[in-house]
Amino acid sequence: MIESVVDVAQEESVYLPQMAQLLKIEQMTELEKVFTLQLPGGRSLGNDPGQFVEVSLFGIGEAPISVSSSPSRSNGTFELCVRRVGDLTNALHGLEPGDVVGVRGPFGHGFPIEKMRGRDMLFAAGGLGLAPLRSLINQVVDERGAFGRVIVLYGTKHPSEILFKEDLKAWEERDDVEFHMTVDRGDEDWTGNVGVITTLFPEIAINPRNTIAATCGPPIMYRFVLMEMQSKGIPETQIYLSLERRMKCGVGKCGHCQIDQFYCCQDGPVFTYAQIKGLEEAL
Amino acid sequence: MAENGRPKVAFFDFACCEGCQLTVVDSLQTHLELVEAVEIVQFREAMTEKGEDYQIAFIEGSCTREQDEARLREIREQADIVVALGACAHIAGVNAIKNVQPSLQDVREYVYGDKWEQYDSYAARPISAVIEVDAVIPGCPIDRFEFLDVVKKLLLGKKPSVPDYPVCVECKLKENVCILETGGTCLGPITRAGCDAIYPTYGVGCLGCRGLISNPNENAMMDVLEEAGLTVEQLMSKMTMFNAYEPAHIGEAVASPAEE
Amino acid sequence: MSLWVIDKQAMAPFVAKLMDDYRVVGPLAKGSQFAFDEVEDPADLRLDYNTSILPPKKYFQPPEERLMTFRRNGGTTVQPIVEAEPTVILGIHTCDLHAMRVLDEAFTQGYPDAHYTRRRRQAMVVSVECLEPCMEHSFCKSMGTLTADDGYDLHLTDLGAAYAVDVGSDEGKALLERFAEARPAAEADMQQLNKVLGAKWPRFPYKLETEVDELPALMSQSYESPVWEELAEICLACGQCTIVCPTCFCFDVYDEVDLSLQDGERRRRWDSCQLDLFATVAGGENFRESQAARLRHRFMRKGRYLRKKYDALGCVGCGRCARSCPVDISPVNVFNELHQVRA
Repeated sequence: MIESVVDVAQEESVYLPQMAQLLKIEQMTELEKVFTLQLPGGRSLGNDPGQFVEVSLFGIGEAPISVSSSPSRSNGTFELCVRRVGDLTNALHGLEPGDVVGVRGPFGHGFPIEKMRGRDMLFAAGGLGLAPLRSLINQVVDERGAFGRVIVLYGTKHPSEILFKEDLKAWEERDDVEFHMTVDRGDEDWTGNVGVITTLFPEIAINPRNTIAATCGPPIMYRFVLMEMQSKGIPETQIYLSLERRMKCGVGKCGHCQIDQFYCCQDGPVFTYAQIKGLEEAL
Repeated sequence: MAENGRPKVAFFDFACCEGCQLTVVDSLQTHLELVEAVEIVQFREAMTEKGEDYQIAFIEGSCTREQDEARLREIREQADIVVALGACAHIAGVNAIKNVQPSLQDVREYVYGDKWEQYDSYAARPISAVIEVDAVIPGCPIDRFEFLDVVKKLLLGKKPSVPDYPVCVECKLKENVCILETGGTCLGPITRAGCDAIYPTYGVGCLGCRGLISNPNENAMMDVLEEAGLTVEQLMSKMTMFNAYEPAHIGEAVASPAEE
Repeated sequence: MSLWVIDKQAMAPFVAKLMDDYRVVGPLAKGSQFAFDEVEDPADLRLDYNTSILPPKKYFQPPEERLMTFRRNGGTTVQPIVEAEPTVILGIHTCDLHAMRVLDEAFTQGYPDAHYTRRRRQAMVVSVECLEPCMEHSFCKSMGTLTADDGYDLHLTDLGAAYAVDVGSDEGKALLERFAEARPAAEADMQQLNKVLGAKWPRFPYKLETEVDELPALMSQSYESPVWEELAEICLACGQCTIVCPTCFCFDVYDEVDLSLQDGERRRRWDSCQLDLFATVAGGENFRESQAARLRHRFMRKGRYLRKKYDALGCVGCGRCARSCPVDISPVNVFNELHQVRA
C-alpha cells in the first residue's frame, strides 16, 4: 500500500493564518477593546474599508472581525474593534501587547470608495456597526477634497457604549463634516440627543441623487434606516450596507454565511440595497 | 482558569452508580497527562485524602433527598466551576424513572422492602435544579474523551459546551446503516450527540442517555416509533428511561398519540 | 474518447493490479446496505450495488480532516496539512458524477481549497452506468443524471459477460493500458452496448411533475409556500439528509489541543444547515431560527441557489436523503408538492 502523502506547505492552504503581533490594546467600553495589530515585517494588510479578517487563537478557534482602521492611516498596522461575546473574543480580550494572534484576509467586498468619490456621503452607524464604517469614514475624511458633503449619523443604546470617542470628536470639530449622534437612553451626564438613530434623519437635508449612503448596525436597525434613506430619495443602488453572518471560513466554502446564492463572506459583507432587496433571507 | 497553575479538582457523588467516576479513573490511567494538568484533592473512588480546597467540582448523581441539597450548596459555595458528571447529575437519568411511577411510596417499598422507612427519597432531580451548574458532561456513562475535552476547555478558559445536534449526525458520519431503516427503534434523532453514536454503531437503538437536543421534535419522534411498532406503553418507557425528569414535556408528547 | 472491453473474469485481476499501485476504493456490502470502502479483496467489490450510504465525496472532502497543526511553545508555529493519496475510486454512479461537478465548482471558485483539489487530482474515477433503478427513492432520470458524458477517467457498462469501458481521459487510458487486460471494442460489442443502453431508459420512472429546468423558477416562486411549515411539523431536524447528500459540502472548523494546552490541530468536519445553530453568530443572533426556514434553505439550495452560483443543480436525484429520512421527506415529492401548490 502506498503511504499517505502528507504534504506540508507545498500548496498554499487558504485556511492558514499568518501571525500578527498585538502592538496596542485599548479598552474602549466595558465590552469593547480596540486592538492594533502588525503583520510580520510591517507588511500592509492591504484592505479596503469594510473588509474583514479571520482572527485565530490556536486552541480556541477563529472568528471574523471587521477592520476598523482606514487603509489611508495604516502605517503598517491595522485596528480591530472587538466586542467580548464568545469564546474567541473573550480569549482575545485576555491578551496583552506583544502577544501573537493568527490573521487571515482581508476578505470579502468592502465599500467601493472609487464609486463614492465626487459624491455627498451619508453614514449611519448603529452600535458596533461604527467599527467597519469608521474605516470608510476616516478614509473619506483623509481624502476630504474628493467628496461633497460628509454627514455622519451615529447611534448607540447608552452613553457608556459610545465607541471611538476620539474619532467622533475629530469629526465633530471639523467644519466640513456634519456629525450627529444620539443614544436610545441617556444618563445624568448626557446632554445630547436621545432617541433611536432614525430620529436624526429629519434634521438632515440632502440631495439624494448625488448622495451615497453607507450604513452598518444591528439587523433590526436596517429596516428602519433603509426606510429613512429611501424616503429621502436615495436610489437603492447608492445605499451600501454591511451584513453580519456567521462567516466561518471567510473564503466562500463552509456555507454558514449563505444568503440565497450569495456567500456573505465573499460577495459581501458590503452589499448595495439593490443587490439584496430581492433576497428573502437578507434583511 | 490560569493556564500555568494546576487547578484543584474534587469529585463528589450523589444518587448514582459511580460508573462515571469509574470512567474518570479509567481515563486517568490512559491519559497520564491529566494527572499533570490538574491536582485532584478529593475523589472518594480513587483516593483516601479529602481536601476541601478546590476550584473545580465534578458531581456525579442526582439529588434525591433533602440532605443532598445542603451538600450540593456547600460544594457550590466552594467551587468556582461546577460540572455535572453524567446523566444522573445532568438530567436525573434513570433515577427519575421513579418520578413517573404512580406512587413514590410503592417505589420505595418495591426497592427497599420492609426497610423502606430507613431510606429517605423524593423525586429525583438533576443537580441544576438545586445549584447553578457551569458545564455538563452528559451520558450514561460519560465518554472519556468528552471528559478530557471538558477538562481542556476549562483549563483554556473556554466555556465547555456540549453538542446541540442529534446523535444521527455522528451516526451518519460513521456511515452506519440506520437502525430505523432496518425496522428497529432509536432515539438518535432527538438525542444530544457526543457519544460518537456508540449504540447504533453496534446495532442497538439509542436510548437517550445524553438528554434531548434543545429543540427536539418529540411528536414526530413518537410517530416514527409508533410506526416502528411500539405500543404507547413501550414508547413511554423508552422515552422516560433517561429523560423522565421533564415528565410534562414527555407526558404531553406520549399522551397525544394515545388519545387519538 | 475510445471504447474498450474487459471480460468480467478479467475484472478481479484488473482491480488486484490497481491495488499494487493505488489505494483502491469501491462499493462494498455494509450490513443490508453498501458503503464505499477500501477494497482488500477484489471479490468483495459490488459494482451491482444500489446506492452507498455516504456518497464518494468523502474521498475528496472527508467527514473529518486536519487542516493544520499548531505549536505554541516558544513562539507560535503552524504547519498546514494537505493530505492526499493516489486513489482509484471504482463504481461511482452517474448521479454522483454530476454531484462531483458541484463540489468541484464550490472548492475551486474564488479561493481554491487545496485540501480538496489535491485529493481530487490524485483520484482516478471509474464510474459505472446504471441499467436498473437502484431503489425506490431515487429519481435520477427526472434530474437528468441517469447518464453522464464526462467527469470520469473510465466508465463501465455491464454488457453481460463483459464490461464496455469508455475512456474519458488520458489518465484513464493509461490506467487501462497499464493494469487491465482490455481489448478495443468490436462491432458486436458496440451493438451490444447500444442495445443495453437503449433498453435501460424505459425501466426508470420519471417522477418529477415538472421539467427539471423549471426547478429554479419553481423554487423562487415558492419562498412563501405553506409547504415549509407543514414539513417542519414532521421534520426531526436530524441532519441526515445533508450528510448523505452528494452535493452538500458545508463544514465547521474547530481546534483540538492536547493536555499541554500548547499544541494541537485545527480540523474541519461536515456540518448541516438543518441543525439549530448553523446560522447563529457569536452574539446569539440566529439568522435561520425556525426549522421551516432551515428546510426551505436546504431545498432552495438544492433547486435554485447552487444553480445560480455554480450553474449546476444541487440535487442529482440519488435519493439518499429520502432513504435516510426517518419521516420520508423526499425532494422529488417536495418539488412536486410545490409544483401542485403553485399550479
